[in-house]
Amino acid sequence: MAAREPSRHLARALPRAFAPSARPQAFIGRRNASDEAPTRRLSDQLDELESASSLTSKVSDSAAKSFDPVTRAKSRRAQLPRSRYQFRSPKYDRGPLHPHQPPAPSDPSSRLFVPGPFSLPRTEQTYNSTIASDIMTLCYVHTPPGFKPPPKPRNRPLRGPRGGDVLRLLRKPIRFNNIPKIERITIHSYVKQAAQENSSWIHVAGIAIQAISNMRVETFKSKSSVATWSIAPGRDTVAVKAELQGENMHHFLGKLIDVVLPRIKDWQGVKGSSGDSSGNITFGLEPEQVALFPEIEVNYDMYPPKMIPGCHITLHTTAKADKDARLLLSAMGIPFYGKIVQ
Amino acid sequence: MSMHTSLRRTAATIPSTTTTILPSRLPTSLSKATTFICSQCRHATLLRRPKRPYTFTQLITLTDGSAFTLRTTSPAPVYRSTRDTRNSLLWNPSSSKLMNVEEDEAGRLAAFRARFGRSWDASAPAEAAEAAPKDSADAKAKEEAARAQAQAEQEEEDNLLDLISSFGQEENQGSGKKKN
Repeated sequence: MAAREPSRHLARALPRAFAPSARPQAFIGRRNASDEAPTRRLSDQLDELESASSLTSKVSDSAAKSFDPVTRAKSRRAQLPRSRYQFRSPKYDRGPLHPHQPPAPSDPSSRLFVPGPFSLPRTEQTYNSTIASDIMTLCYVHTPPGFKPPPKPRNRPLRGPRGGDVLRLLRKPIRFNNIPKIERITIHSYVKQAAQENSSWIHVAGIAIQAISNMRVETFKSKSSVATWSIAPGRDTVAVKAELQGENMHHFLGKLIDVVLPRIKDWQGVKGSSGDSSGNITFGLEPEQVALFPEIEVNYDMYPPKMIPGCHITLHTTAKADKDARLLLSAMGIPFYGKIVQ
Repeated sequence: MSMHTSLRRTAATIPSTTTTILPSRLPTSLSKATTFICSQCRHATLLRRPKRPYTFTQLITLTDGSAFTLRTTSPAPVYRSTRDTRNSLLWNPSSSKLMNVEEDEAGRLAAFRARFGRSWDASAPAEAAEAAPKDSADAKAKEEAARAQAQAEQEEEDNLLDLISSFGQEENQGSGKKKN
């Protein structure tokens, strides 16, 4: 009896040992004396496990033979309704362990699928054809052939990060694969009257921002309390935001630069000190400047004139420093004025 | 027997590695059975179809005649801009043409001209031309008079051109006023 015991354990534990496991485990040829202790002995733990597997159960032969979808479809006189031939994604996401999984958002049958892009915007074409190569040329730093950077002294530890508490982004030399480009544009509008008066302000702001951006906006509740505006955190919906990416972003940018900004009276440009020192530039538009957008102008009567919102427009670029971002944006056609802060 | 020991080794390495890597976590895992990260939600999340406003294709014509298409929510098929990057001074800082453009957004100068004519504009250079022949010889005076006449003629042409161009501008300004 005692001689048979190891083989019984082997039969049970061998498939377990070679089964792919979620945890990376390696065969380590190390043994500890404590492994032999009676509390940690493997045989005791394995005895508690169920030996039968649910995967080994078999389908009955009669059921398998009767399953013949081709003849069943041919014997059908009329076609099934269209919806029976079409895959429809589940309406609800019931978690990763549920057998009915919705398809990926990139799948056209997914409920989250957004088709597009349908056009190649002008600003994108300009960027690809001229601006990208111009920026790469402007940022080129020449090292003569045979130049080697001075070697680091051996055994010296790496220098600590420069700067203060906030670590700035590391600006690497700009080469063909990291030319700064516009990543996304955020249009944000904070309407304080939505808390003070009524919600119509936020509705008008949302529709105006949607009109100029081609995007449905998100609304936000206030996070901080502003006593003078009678705003309490979490009580009122006071802000709308639209995040533009890809095609919408390029269309918006082209419209903004070519049509809207030149029509603003006495506009000097974007302030040279704006930017978050990591390549994102923000500027604001007053309500009367937002009204200059062709979408709002074309049916200006639809909007209550005093409720047209102002907005902040943030241009997020992949540049790591504001200097590069300004270079890119001025190449795209956004003028800067005043003291240029790098 | 050797088989037995090798098997024991492979299976027993898992707890031993955990003890070496994370010795502090071992007592907790022994005391509690397991801590599951709840990856399965009991509720179902509605997959909302993203809402997108209807967009049209719009042709935007700039002042210099160049045009490009755009997807916008505006239903107007063509947008003609009166002021854009091609004729604003901020985008063309070195353009002498745009430097000399008088700022007449409210249309006051145009209104003055409509009432009193353009003779005020034309008088200044003509006087200068008249003053020139007094202090020179007759032959030179004739030449200069001819030149001045040619200049005056050209200026008159310019004035006529101005009249034509201002005619269009006035209409634009009128329509702009209505919109705003």
